[in-house]
Amino acid sequence: MTHRCLLQMVLLLCFSTTALPRSYSLLGLQERRSAAVSQKLLWQLPSTPQRCLEARMDFQMPEEMKQAQQFQKEDAILVMYEMLQQIFGILTRDFSSTGWSETIIEDLLVELYGQMNRLQPIQKEIMQKKNFTMGNTTVLHLKKYYLNLMYYLKSKEYNRCAWTVVRVQILTNFSFLKSLTAYLRD
Amino acid sequence: TMLALLGATTLMLVAGRWVLPGASGEANLKPENVEIHIIDDNFFLKWNSSSESVKNVTFSADYQILGMDNWKKLSGCQHITSTKCNFSSVELENVFEKIELRIRAEEGNNTSTWYEVEPFVPFLEAQIGPPDVHLEAEDKAIILSISPPGTKDSIMWAMDRSSFRYSVVIWKNSSSLEERTETVYPEDKIYKLSPEITYCLKVKAELRLQSRVGCYSPVYCINTTERHKVPSPENIQINADNQIYVLKWDYPYENATFQAQWLRAFFKKIPGNHSDKWKQIPNCENVTSTYCVFPREVSSRGIYYVRVRASNGNGTSFWSEEKEFNIEMKTIIFPPVISVKSVTDDSLHVSVGASEESENMSVNQLYPLIYEVIFWENTSNAERKVLEKRTNFIFPDLKPLTVYCVKARALIENDRRNKGSSFSDTVCEKTKPGNTSKTWLIVGTCTALFSIPVVIYVVSVFLRCVKYVFFPSSKPPSSVDEYFSDQPLRNLLLSTSEEQTERCFIIENASVITEIEETDEIDEVHKKYSSQTSQDSGNYSNEDENSGSKISEEFPQQDSV
Repeated sequence: MTHRCLLQMVLLLCFSTTALPRSYSLLGLQERRSAAVSQKLLWQLPSTPQRCLEARMDFQMPEEMKQAQQFQKEDAILVMYEMLQQIFGILTRDFSSTGWSETIIEDLLVELYGQMNRLQPIQKEIMQKKNFTMGNTTVLHLKKYYLNLMYYLKSKEYNRCAWTVVRVQILTNFSFLKSLTAYLRD
Repeated sequence: TMLALLGATTLMLVAGRWVLPGASGEANLKPENVEIHIIDDNFFLKWNSSSESVKNVTFSADYQILGMDNWKKLSGCQHITSTKCNFSSVELENVFEKIELRIRAEEGNNTSTWYEVEPFVPFLEAQIGPPDVHLEAEDKAIILSISPPGTKDSIMWAMDRSSFRYSVVIWKNSSSLEERTETVYPEDKIYKLSPEITYCLKVKAELRLQSRVGCYSPVYCINTTERHKVPSPENIQINADNQIYVLKWDYPYENATFQAQWLRAFFKKIPGNHSDKWKQIPNCENVTSTYCVFPREVSSRGIYYVRVRASNGNGTSFWSEEKEFNIEMKTIIFPPVISVKSVTDDSLHVSVGASEESENMSVNQLYPLIYEVIFWENTSNAERKVLEKRTNFIFPDLKPLTVYCVKARALIENDRRNKGSSFSDTVCEKTKPGNTSKTWLIVGTCTALFSIPVVIYVVSVFLRCVKYVFFPSSKPPSSVDEYFSDQPLRNLLLSTSEEQTERCFIIENASVITEIEETDEIDEVHKKYSSQTSQDSGNYSNEDENSGSKISEEFPQQDSV
C-alpha cells in the first residue's frame, strides 16, 4: 500500500511544479509592472474625436515590431531601451493643445525613466561586451519610425488630432514592450 | 595557348588605350577623392578635380535613398565652382537610412561620369558637434545650462536629445594643472569650488550608451562670487523608516530655518530650464531642526533629487548639493524569522519565514527575495555564508552532538542596490547523537540475529554429545531394535520369499529317534508354539505353518504309534 501512495505523491509533485509560474528575474517583474502601469496611464488620457483616427497613417513601423520575432536577449534589451527612450522623447514635447493632464504625463515619464534607469547597467554591460558597432539595424529602424512620428507632430503643429494618432501608436508600442520583457528571464 | 592568351590580353590593353583617349575628355573631368564630413546636421563634401584646367568646370551632386531609383538634386551643391560644398540633413529628411551620393563635373555641355560615393548611414557617420553652454556663478558652485549639439530644428540628434550627457573639464585659470572632469546633466551644477576664483571650463557632449563622444566647446571662464553670508546646508541624507521618510542634513550654525524641495529625476534628462518643477516637500518648510519627516504616501515610486537651503536674519543661502533619492532602494525589507530543527545527526533543517509585520506589507510579495544565511559552530567563530532562494533547506555534513547557530537576512534578488533587511534573531540548535554508535548497534543486532540460530545449533550438538557420553540410554542398539521391530512388519508387508529353514531327519538308530523325539518335543513345543502362533496371527506365520504342516506330515505315523 505504501508503494501506491508513493507513486501518487511523486506524480502530484511533478504536476505541481509544472503548474507553478516560471520565475522572472526581479528586473523582468519590475519592467512588466512598469509597462502595465504606463499602459493604464495612457488609457486614462481622454480619447479625442474618433475622426482623427480615420486617416490611415503609415509611420513605417519596423517589421520586427509587427511580427513576434525571436530576439537574442541582448538585442531585446537594446530594442527595449531604445523604445523607452524614444517614447520618453516624444512625451516631452508640447502636448498643451490636447488638454491632457500634466500629472498623468509626468507619471508616465516617471515610469519610463525608472524603466530606463533599471535597464541601464545591463545595457552598459551589453555595449561593452559587444563592442558595439552602432550598426544595430533594428535600432536604426526604430529611430526612423519615431522620427516619422515626430515629423508628423511637427507638421501638424502638435495639434490634438496628431497627438491622438501618436497616442495610439504609443499604446501599440507598450504592448510590444511587454512582450519583450519576457527576455528578461533568469 | 599561353602565348595566344598573352597576345589577346596585350591586344585588349592596346585597344583599351586606344579607346580611352576618345573618352578622355569626359574622364578627365571626373572628380576624384571625394570625402564627406558630417558634423551635426552639416554635410561637408570635398573632392579633387582631375583636370588641370580648373576654369569653367562646375560640379553638381545628387543623392538618393539606397534602393530607390530617384536621384534628387542637392541644393547647395549644384554647379559649384570650387571643390567643396555643403548641405544640411534637413534636406535629406532622413538620416537613419543608407543614402547614396553621386557627383560629377560639368564643362559647358560636357558632363563627366558620375562619381558614386560608397553608401552610408548619415547618423552613424556624423560627428557630434560642440554644445552651447551658459554659466552662472555662486560662491562655491557654478550653474551650467547646456543645450544639446545641433540647432532646434536639427534632425540628426532629434531622437537622442534626452540621451546626451556632458563631460566638463574645469580648472583654475591660475593653474591649468589642477584639472577636474565631471559628467553632468544639461541643467546641473559643479560643486566644491572656492569663492572668488576664476574658473575656466570646456564641455563636450556624449552619447554614452553608443560610445560616441563629441567635440569640445570653446573654453568659457567665470569668477565665483565672494563667500555668501548664509552658508548652505551640507551632507543631506534620507532614511526610510517604516511608514515615513526622514530627511536630515548638517548645519553647524545657529538660528536658521530650512526649506527642502524635491524634483522628479527625469527632468534632469530633458534639456531646458526646469526650475519651476522643483516642489516643496510637505512638512519641510520653515523647519528649525536639521531634519524633517514626511509620510510615505507622498510618493511610492520614482527617483527624486532633494535640495535644502537655510534662511536666517542675514538672508537665504544658496541651495545645497542635490542628492539623488531612489525610493525603491529605500524599500524596507523586514528581517525573516527562522526555525531550526535537528533531523539527523549530521544535518540541520532550516525553515525561513516572514515576520508578522511583513505579512501585511505588500512589498515582500512584489519582490522575489533571496536569503543570506550565516551559520557557525557555537564554540568557534568561523562563519559560513550561504545564499538561499528556498525557504526550507538543509545544512548537511555537520558534526553530531554539536551546537550550531543560524541567522539570516532577506535581500531582493538581483537588486544589490537595496541593502536588504537586517539580520533575524540567531537561533541555535544541537545536532542529534552520533552515527558511529548507531551503526555499531545496527551491525551488532544484525549479527546477533544471524548468530542466534547458529549458536542454538552448536549448543544442541554439544548437548547431544554430552548426553551420549555421560548419560547413555538403556535402549538396545538401534539396529537390533530395528530388526525386531521390523520382523512382524516385514511379514506383514511382504508375502513370500522368506528363507525356509530346512529340517533334516536322520532315521538310523534309536538315539537318533530319541533325538528325533526330543526334537519332536521340541517340535511339539515348537508346533504348539507355532500352532498357537498360527492361531494368533493368521497369515503371517507362513513359514511356521509350513514347518508346522511338515511336522504334521512327518509324524502322523508317530502319533498313531
